[in-house]
Amino acid sequence: MTNWAILSGIEGNLAAYEAVLADIKRQRQPIEELYILGDAIAAIPESTNVIQRIRSPRPDEPVPQVCQGWWEEQLLILHGLGRTGEPTELIERYGIEMVKTLWDAIPREMVEWVRSLDFGLFELDCLLIHGSSVDVGDELTPDTPAIQMLDRLMRMDANMLFCGRSGLTFQYEIQQGSVTSSITTLDQVTTPQAILVKPRQVIGVGNIGRIPGQATYTLYNPYTNHIEFRTVRYGSGKGFQPLKDKLFPPLNNRLMT
Amino acid sequence: MKIAVMSCIHGNYEALNAVLSDIDDQNADKVYCLGDLVGYGPHPNAVVEMIRALDIPTCQGCWDEDIVEGLNSCECSYPSVLAEKRGKVAHDWTNQVIHPEVREYLAQLPLSLRDDNLCFVHGSPHNQHEYLMPEVDAFVAMERVLATGADILFCGHTHVPYVRSLDVGQLQIRVKLTGKSEPQNTSFSAPLKRIVNAGSVGEPRHGRPNATYVIYDNDTDQITLREVEYDYQKTCAAIIENGLPPVFAWRLSKGLEYAERADDPTHVCER
Repeated sequence: MTNWAILSGIEGNLAAYEAVLADIKRQRQPIEELYILGDAIAAIPESTNVIQRIRSPRPDEPVPQVCQGWWEEQLLILHGLGRTGEPTELIERYGIEMVKTLWDAIPREMVEWVRSLDFGLFELDCLLIHGSSVDVGDELTPDTPAIQMLDRLMRMDANMLFCGRSGLTFQYEIQQGSVTSSITTLDQVTTPQAILVKPRQVIGVGNIGRIPGQATYTLYNPYTNHIEFRTVRYGSGKGFQPLKDKLFPPLNNRLMT
Repeated sequence: MKIAVMSCIHGNYEALNAVLSDIDDQNADKVYCLGDLVGYGPHPNAVVEMIRALDIPTCQGCWDEDIVEGLNSCECSYPSVLAEKRGKVAHDWTNQVIHPEVREYLAQLPLSLRDDNLCFVHGSPHNQHEYLMPEVDAFVAMERVLATGADILFCGHTHVPYVRSLDVGQLQIRVKLTGKSEPQNTSFSAPLKRIVNAGSVGEPRHGRPNATYVIYDNDTDQITLREVEYDYQKTCAAIIENGLPPVFAWRLSKGLEYAERADDPTHVCER
């Protein structure tokens, strides 16, 4: 029985990622697949530690499969490797000074790894992606109109779409639907046909690193379609610091393993 | 009020003249153009000058964009390598002969136009390069209309005219949030929405060489697909005389696309 852990938005927060990895190991059903839906990095130097940790899973950990997120795309744009030439979105959102901050935060040798990441991952009938099939910055939320959700699913003909852009955990089920379609051309008129939609879902997988001390991620069983949202509290403020120190060696030691 | 909508003139001055005469005969009150004024055909400057002189509201097509911005689309823009090669020849020729003021005019064209509950685009509301083929899934088609907030979406780009009605659209949704035990059930419904493809004035692909466009009468809510005969052989001769690929003349004379269709017509180039 395969179980997946799906997470997004580590945003350079290694402690949060470690806490989630520990929570994954605790699961009664072993987790065989680990998907990271982008934003592993943010504009902080600690992002390099996260990249190294992702690239060096321990023997008892699943090998993470990673796709690009919004921060990864901004980094690639800065290095002339993005789909647009100017970091317009980065500047609009965080100001011009963020260009240098992000540039300085991620060393050049890490950029190639970021560049190697896919835009999205497709497994079985599931699309795993940071934003959506439209754009890495496309933010799907529980309030997104149903027709828009359906469009994002149908663009890739996916039954399940896992996304992380909003940082929220939610399960959005399109249970059924129909529309009557008819087409007139110069040569013929088709009789109206009822087109039905099959059930499909969009899952917001949560966010690992944005809120200090609290990480959210998702467990999924592709054979039963069971979804479980996990909230992991970590750090000294939550009373977990002594245990964490026991479990994990100091940062510098960890990077050498 | 009768509104005439045309698209994809593609430098075919003869066809444009014939369609404008037919629009006059139909007593249309307004005319809109959905772009692709240039490309493939031998008279790009004359076509643009006519559209400008008549002050016809026009949105930018993908060929208009490419002439302004330079070719920057990926191979997905063409259905085959051969089509891509010929398309580039047409692009280079058009790029050389186009007048500076024509290029400036094409550069300032909007991507969409709006008139009350009508929206006008070249390809789709999301991208000039997206093909809204008649066989596109009905829900995807409905999303394209709803994205504009209009009731009728006029588009071109495919060169084949059609009217698609999408009625009594409905979806049942259940949303579950973390921490809330009870999922919320909601429903979505949409009244009648329509996509009207205006076909092509200058490079039709519906199986005959005649120019096509549409007329919408907002008093009667009637949409009429118009097919106009004209002297297409004159344009075919001009294509060959100007050194454009002769296959464009053959295609024009048949009203056909000569190559296979793209595998995924909804694919949008993001390069």
